[in-house]
Amino acid sequence: MSVAKPLPHDAAHLHVTGAARYVDDIPTPAGTLHLAFGMSTAACGTLNNMDLDAVRAAPGVVAVLTAPDLPFDNDVSPSAHDEPLLATDAVHYVGQPVFLVIAETHLQARFAARLGKIDITETKPVFTIEDALAANARFEDGPRIYAQGDAASALDAAENTLSGSLDIGGQEHFYLEGQAALVQPGENGDMHVISSTQHPTEIQHKVAEAIGQPMHAVRVETRRMGGGFGGKESQGNALAVACAVAVRLTGQPCKMRYDRDDDMIITGKRHDFRIDYDIGFDEEGHITALDVRQYTRCGWALDLSLPVADRAMLHADNGYWLPNIRIESHRLRTNTQSATAFRGFGGPQGMLGMERIVDHVAAELGLDPLVVRQRNFYASSGQEIQTTPYGQPVEDFILDDLVAQLAKTSDYDARRAAVAEWNAANPVLKKGIALTPVKFGISFTLTHLNQAGALVHVYSDGSIHLNHGGTEMGQGLFQKIAQVAASRFGVALDAIKITATDTAKVPNTSATAASSGSDLNGMAVKAACDTLRDRMAEHLAQLHQCHPDAVVFAEGRVQAGEADYSFAEVAAMAHQARISLSATGFYKTPDIQWDRIKGHGRPFFYFAYGAAVTEVVVDTLTGENRILRADVLHDAGASLNPALDIGQVEGGYVQGAGWLTTEELVWDDAGRLRTHAPSTYKIPACGDRPDIFNVSLWDGENRADTIYKSKAVGEPPLMLGISALLALSDAVSACGPNYPDLHAPATAESVLASVHKAQDA
Amino acid sequence: MYNFDFEKPESVADAIAALQGEEAQALGGGQTLIPTLKQRLASPSTLVSLKGIAEMQGVCMGDDGSVCIGGATNHATVAAEAGAYPALADTAAHIGDPAVRNRGTIGGSLANNDPSACYPAAALGSGATIVTNARQIAADDYFQGMFTTALDEGEIITEVRFPVPEKANYQKFVQPASRFALVGVYVAKYADGVRVAITGASNDGVFRWAEAEAALSANFSASALDGLSLSGDDMISDLHGTGEYRAHLCAVMTKRAVAAA
Ligand SMILES: Cc1cc2nc3c(=O)[nH]c(=O)nc-3n(C[C@H](O)[C@H](O)[C@H](O)COP(=O)(O)OP(=O)(O)OC[C@H]3O[C@@H](n4cnc5c(N)ncnc54)[C@H](O)[C@@H]3O)c2cc1C
Repeated sequence: MSVAKPLPHDAAHLHVTGAARYVDDIPTPAGTLHLAFGMSTAACGTLNNMDLDAVRAAPGVVAVLTAPDLPFDNDVSPSAHDEPLLATDAVHYVGQPVFLVIAETHLQARFAARLGKIDITETKPVFTIEDALAANARFEDGPRIYAQGDAASALDAAENTLSGSLDIGGQEHFYLEGQAALVQPGENGDMHVISSTQHPTEIQHKVAEAIGQPMHAVRVETRRMGGGFGGKESQGNALAVACAVAVRLTGQPCKMRYDRDDDMIITGKRHDFRIDYDIGFDEEGHITALDVRQYTRCGWALDLSLPVADRAMLHADNGYWLPNIRIESHRLRTNTQSATAFRGFGGPQGMLGMERIVDHVAAELGLDPLVVRQRNFYASSGQEIQTTPYGQPVEDFILDDLVAQLAKTSDYDARRAAVAEWNAANPVLKKGIALTPVKFGISFTLTHLNQAGALVHVYSDGSIHLNHGGTEMGQGLFQKIAQVAASRFGVALDAIKITATDTAKVPNTSATAASSGSDLNGMAVKAACDTLRDRMAEHLAQLHQCHPDAVVFAEGRVQAGEADYSFAEVAAMAHQARISLSATGFYKTPDIQWDRIKGHGRPFFYFAYGAAVTEVVVDTLTGENRILRADVLHDAGASLNPALDIGQVEGGYVQGAGWLTTEELVWDDAGRLRTHAPSTYKIPACGDRPDIFNVSLWDGENRADTIYKSKAVGEPPLMLGISALLALSDAVSACGPNYPDLHAPATAESVLASVHKAQDA
Repeated sequence: MYNFDFEKPESVADAIAALQGEEAQALGGGQTLIPTLKQRLASPSTLVSLKGIAEMQGVCMGDDGSVCIGGATNHATVAAEAGAYPALADTAAHIGDPAVRNRGTIGGSLANNDPSACYPAAALGSGATIVTNARQIAADDYFQGMFTTALDEGEIITEVRFPVPEKANYQKFVQPASRFALVGVYVAKYADGVRVAITGASNDGVFRWAEAEAALSANFSASALDGLSLSGDDMISDLHGTGEYRAHLCAVMTKRAVAAA
């Protein structure tokens, strides 16, 4: 059976040879036009007048569009209909698309876009969390509050209390392939859209609205993305819609891709947060009361900010039983890019807040933070069942065992002692170590999104065409699903053709997001394959006088009674017998229900777990720092493909550590993003990964009934990177008596500031 | 790109002649100039490449024992061939990435005088002589603020002469994204005194830290710098770091350079 095998990514050889096709690699038909946006230069103001004569006169320019030129709906929002493709009467951030240039080449479009003269009467912008709170600039009428027990009284009654505040920076997705779309006209107003998107159905929906056609007139295809990380859940809408509108106007194919600078300036990023907390705890470090305030900058439009902020609240407990907790969440409207989905979707920020809280308690009591973590863990599965702050019973808790195993394999105790010894002997270079756990809820919190469809054909030669609603962004989803299909039919993987995601094959799909790609689409494909297999089995059973259940599909052969056929022979026989060899499959996640206003229910089908130990060294004179070693143990259930899963875990750790260390987004006083290229924004490179990097998968299957008992692995490992930040904090704490109060990202300058905080008398 | 003429003379004289034309500009490795052209921040009508001029290529020893580097010599060549002045070779070896080192030239770097570049610190820290087609300029007179030098219009750097110190070291604190110097300190100890040149930090471009030089000339050890500091007030404050942080790094990097020299 091909599931559980550590097979390489199906397109690995194409990726490394450059033969894998991305949107910009697709040969375009003659006459294809290219698009670029003219952007707002002000963060906030009224849009008076645009002088676009020079743009229109620029070489190669075919047409220039502004909002009034748009034929139908002027909106690319995935949620609240508050995101015009082109600004109407107001601008809301520097970089907001204001006009659209259609030209003969990409560069002509970009150059022409620079020539627009936009007259804006600027008004006072809102940039920071503090500005937004002062102006009461927010989404939803007030903060959301989820609670369990009575935090206020428990704080009053607590033996010890402690307060603090943590700033958490945002993060640029930095997918290697930037946003891109290519739209070709069909007959009678139809459009064929090729988009680098995690959400083809959303693209279809927004394009259809923008060109005034029903969804059936728009077909969206996505073979692969060169990375998504959540940044292509909604941010591709603008490009696809712009192309479709331009195709409708010109009758010619249109392509749009953002140059990297434009991509970083226009598109949303991970939400930055400030988290304030008041903790009540006993002498052993048990957290008896917790009041947490989460403030997040959502940017100018709603986008996906509500579910992101909800998920931050839903991870404010991480792996800890908090009988008395109150979580207050403020979703603030600012004149910056509209923050969007990013791997973890708010979960990482909520979880980091809690890890910081536990770390602070441990520092206050002079205890090893690991001990405080373990004392506060939820009860293990099989023991008393405790509930999360949002009322979900935690029935599958394994962090006790998982963390104990990792502490052992990583030699945590001995290394912690060695770090202390090193720090006693070395005045300048200080080492630090931290072990942090991850408990991440799996399912879309918008319950209806937890569904998926598949379409499977068996051809009469026994070859199989596989399609489903999930998208491939390098994570290996297609290979995992192909392994599922091959296993259901008992055939080799090369019998399966992996095909592009296509709204004409599987309709009404959810985004490939929330780590749910394999869980949902794997089950849908399994259902489709089983339908076909059952049809073939029934036919053979009749022929050979046996029970259909006794027909065995394995190793490319099919056995029915005494008979033994190749899979291809069975396919041909079924075709001869006029049996349909095409089937759809459908899946919806069971057992979930959720009321996001009350903050109560069972939003998650199950939890995915993991833990990491990171050891770092800090130069206390400059704040420079390095990760020396990382050990990870991650729970992927019964892995569908351990090689791909380990890849996801390694990448997640590195991306999480990058978020919390070197990746710093800087806006200037005018609201311009100054870090809009790799020369100013530092993502981890190959050389930045830990020199010693031990990554293993936890040996255990999912208790929930998922595809082959595997667990989702897309987002959870990102949060393993939290251990890097807390290891830095641990190293800094060796510099002096005070809590380092290290904020994220921990750039060298911010580590140095925290060294001084630790040292100050 | 846009249209321009390209010339590749084989002698300094021909290059100077070619540079007399309206809107002609010298081209070294193009690592700074070509991106500038692409962004339309400059639009010379003729580019005069200096790479075909044999006399401006390579590393040799001068009669006075100084290391002489042709103005069109790329960083990789300096890294490989300036072994007689190890700190200089090492500085060159850590500029940019292999592509930049194989294209970018010392003349281009010094002519550009980027406030975060490495060679200006090496030249000022070594008291180098910048030789042009017309004259010799002492490093102390050459650097005149960010992106500003003593070069006249149409004047080119043909050679840079570095007196070899007893000891020297360059400490570069890299800005992690671009790997340019957030702060770089070049310390060189000569028989007649110590020179300390700092790049990346000041709003006025590369500069010498006189107090540190005096302290180190009296006692060449890191501890001689104890208590010395620079003010962050006139330092660059930008997205990569505050002036205060840069000032702090100047002191730390100077000590490191002394210890490593
Ligand atoms: C990715 C990247 C990373 C880099 N990292 C670093 C770094 O870490 N440290 C560092 O110091 N630098 C760094 N640089 C800059 C690099 O060293 C460049 O090579 C240098 O700034 C310019 O040299 P060039 O020969 O390419 O000059 P060009 O780009 O050809 O020219 C630059 C300017 O100098 C003029 N010019 C060229 N040659 C002469 C000459 N002989 N006489 C008079 N004028 C001349 C030109 O007319 C132009 O105005 C980096 C550059 C890049 C692209």
